[in-house]
Amino acid sequence: MCTSTVCNTKKQNLFNPPRRPHPPHLIPSSTSKPLRLGPGLRHLPPSDIIPTVAGQLITNPQKNSMWVEYNNNRYLPTPGDLILAQITRSGPDLYYCSLSPHTPLATLPHLSFESATKKTRPQLSPGSLVYARVVLANKHMDPEIECVSSSTGKSDGLGELKGGMVFDVSLQFARRLLMSKSREEGKVEVLELLGEEGLAFEIAVGRNGRVWVGGEDLKAVVVVGRALRGADEGGLGVEGQRKLVRGLVRGMK
Amino acid sequence: MPREAEPSLNERQFVLQALQDSIRLDGRELDQYRPLELTFGDQYGVADVTLGKTRVLAKASAELTVPYADRPLDGIFNIATELSPMTSPAFEVNRPTETEVLISRLLEKTVRRSGALDTESLCLVAGQKCWSIRVDVHVLSHDGNLIDAACFAVVAALRHFRKPDTSMEGGVLTVYTPAEREPVPLSWLHSPFCVTWSFFGEEGDIALLDATWMEEQVRSGSCTISLNKHGEICQIAKLGGVPVEAVSLLQCTNVALIKAKDMSSKLDKWLAEDAKRRDKGGLLAELSAENDRVPDI
Amino acid sequence: MTVTTAPEAALGVLPRADGSAKYSHAGYTVTASVNGPIEAQRRDEHPYEAHVDVIVRPAAGVGSTRERHLESILQSSLTQIILVKNFPRSLIQIVLQVEDTPENDYVNTKLVQASLNFAIMPALFQTAVLALLSAGVPMRATATATAVAIVPQDGTKTSVVDPSPRDAEIAQSVHVLAFTSHDELLLAESEGDFTVKEWDDVYETAKQVCCRPVPAKEGMEMVLDDEHTNGPDLRHFLRSTMEQKVASDLHWK
Repeated sequence: MCTSTVCNTKKQNLFNPPRRPHPPHLIPSSTSKPLRLGPGLRHLPPSDIIPTVAGQLITNPQKNSMWVEYNNNRYLPTPGDLILAQITRSGPDLYYCSLSPHTPLATLPHLSFESATKKTRPQLSPGSLVYARVVLANKHMDPEIECVSSSTGKSDGLGELKGGMVFDVSLQFARRLLMSKSREEGKVEVLELLGEEGLAFEIAVGRNGRVWVGGEDLKAVVVVGRALRGADEGGLGVEGQRKLVRGLVRGMK
Repeated sequence: MPREAEPSLNERQFVLQALQDSIRLDGRELDQYRPLELTFGDQYGVADVTLGKTRVLAKASAELTVPYADRPLDGIFNIATELSPMTSPAFEVNRPTETEVLISRLLEKTVRRSGALDTESLCLVAGQKCWSIRVDVHVLSHDGNLIDAACFAVVAALRHFRKPDTSMEGGVLTVYTPAEREPVPLSWLHSPFCVTWSFFGEEGDIALLDATWMEEQVRSGSCTISLNKHGEICQIAKLGGVPVEAVSLLQCTNVALIKAKDMSSKLDKWLAEDAKRRDKGGLLAELSAENDRVPDI
Repeated sequence: MTVTTAPEAALGVLPRADGSAKYSHAGYTVTASVNGPIEAQRRDEHPYEAHVDVIVRPAAGVGSTRERHLESILQSSLTQIILVKNFPRSLIQIVLQVEDTPENDYVNTKLVQASLNFAIMPALFQTAVLALLSAGVPMRATATATAVAIVPQDGTKTSVVDPSPRDAEIAQSVHVLAFTSHDELLLAESEGDFTVKEWDDVYETAKQVCCRPVPAKEGMEMVLDDEHTNGPDLRHFLRSTMEQKVASDLHWK
């Protein structure tokens, strides 16, 4: 039913037009753990698993999970995601923030900051940026975000972002930047390369396709932004990224 | 209600600060345009213009109608601009926004009021029959500087357009279908182009060309100069914003002329290329019943 | 004018939309943008499912009741294949901009009322499906559509797939049919006089165009030239277009 060429035991290169039941041999089978379906898959009882988007099917036998890797441009909030949010207005005890244009606003309680009390909470004006984590997201409710870890009470680097510039990238590129092994798994090396060239900058990658870049040197920030956008829009491989970064850094001096 | 995303305070501040040092986010010079591209459709009179991520499609069309009673010797020429939700979900169908009205007015002043199209030539029988030429401007993607792109698209579409050939014999008007006679071009007098300057800072002392959407959102004023390659200015519109020194405005006009000349030669080149592509085997000249006219364009 | 018979498509042509596609076939060129799921207006909000908004814009002139009619047909059939229950209270907005229609060299067109005819429906439908796939909107199935006209010719009636404007003008009836990738009939709209027998013929012809089984990967190089088939192989076309898109999206995998 599906055309598939097996690359290795873990990944199947597979194109899934919607409504094409997966052949059973591609479904990881483990008796100890329940099968977990990720984005892009739909279970039709009793036993059909059907893709709903076009992409590549990825299975992970260790975790007994499978999902479809695909690119979309509209961010759908998912709990645990790190995102860059923009304060739109403040309510009596929470901020309303926008995660992406034209979508319902997310809420950020005034007390969801590190060691915030009614009196010491940060005063954020409309238009400020925060780096935050999605706490609650389901399809029937507007999302809620936080700038503090609820278990430790620490901010872990979340909170207001001062200065700097925001660059929009595709959602998939943001995901690749956020991978723990972005160089090996995501094939994205721009940031390391820029660091090697001696540029000093801070960066916060939001899963919603927004990257904040801060730093003393305006030129360096612009170069970082252009490198990120260039690598994303050009669909550059590691070699292409290296060339791009070298060119940009040379142009800066 | 879908709303347009506004740039954050950080972005505003950064863009302005960088411009103080003459740095643009995409690495362009202040007076540098994004790459301008034009493709013509299969039909006559369809022009698709891209300017970076801005994309505008213009389509010219003609139909027979009755001239206005007070202008019996003139044909009718209209430009219709509508920003659809394709541009941004913030635009609604049939609810014009300020941007839309502004673009319509500027195009009207630039192309229609400057007499770029000879409307008298559109009249077939005085007071009874004339051509009505209509250009529909569709904004497909908006990343700033819609006006310059839209104006270029309108001019390109009109110069590319061919209307059905007609003849008058013994008081009988015949309109030929494309199968009978090759359609003829419009009588075109000159090609105006819009060049829009954006001003930044409280004094308006930083000026740049071809602003992106982000730059447009933080600018403190803008000025659109419409002129043709001969340096004849059709209109200058500076609607509000910070006051700008007269000397710098003169400077802007001089640069605008260079840009207009550049656009004009680009358009000539593309039109010639397209004519070559269509005229396979050199048969078009024979098919046309029209005498050669050499308009000054 | 030479009309290309093979369909052509480009995805992601509009950088600022969530998904977009440009599709040309049989002289029609349509560009579509898809934005969604985004916030719906109060009047369109539905508590359990997404509202699908379809806007058809003619190349010249203003839209009229004719376009509204096409919009309502498209809206109801696309709502069937999009998984609207995944996004309650939201809006999926599809804007279809007609760029080119085949010219009828024998008639001078009137353009005040740009009345689109039925023959454009397949192009609109196909572009919408491609743009939805490009936006990664989850769908139950993909779909393909075609138009068939019954044209009287020398006393006999022949069915013509993808009628030219001239065919459509002299045709007794024009039919638009769409099938899902599961061979289910999704849309059937007819115009003109016809008998049940004729409709059955039209159905068979359309099904042949829309639902040709996708050849297995091994035999992809030699697509069998079946003498009896007429019209393009739409399903294969859709699939190969999407395969290209996925390959370029996931170049880093």
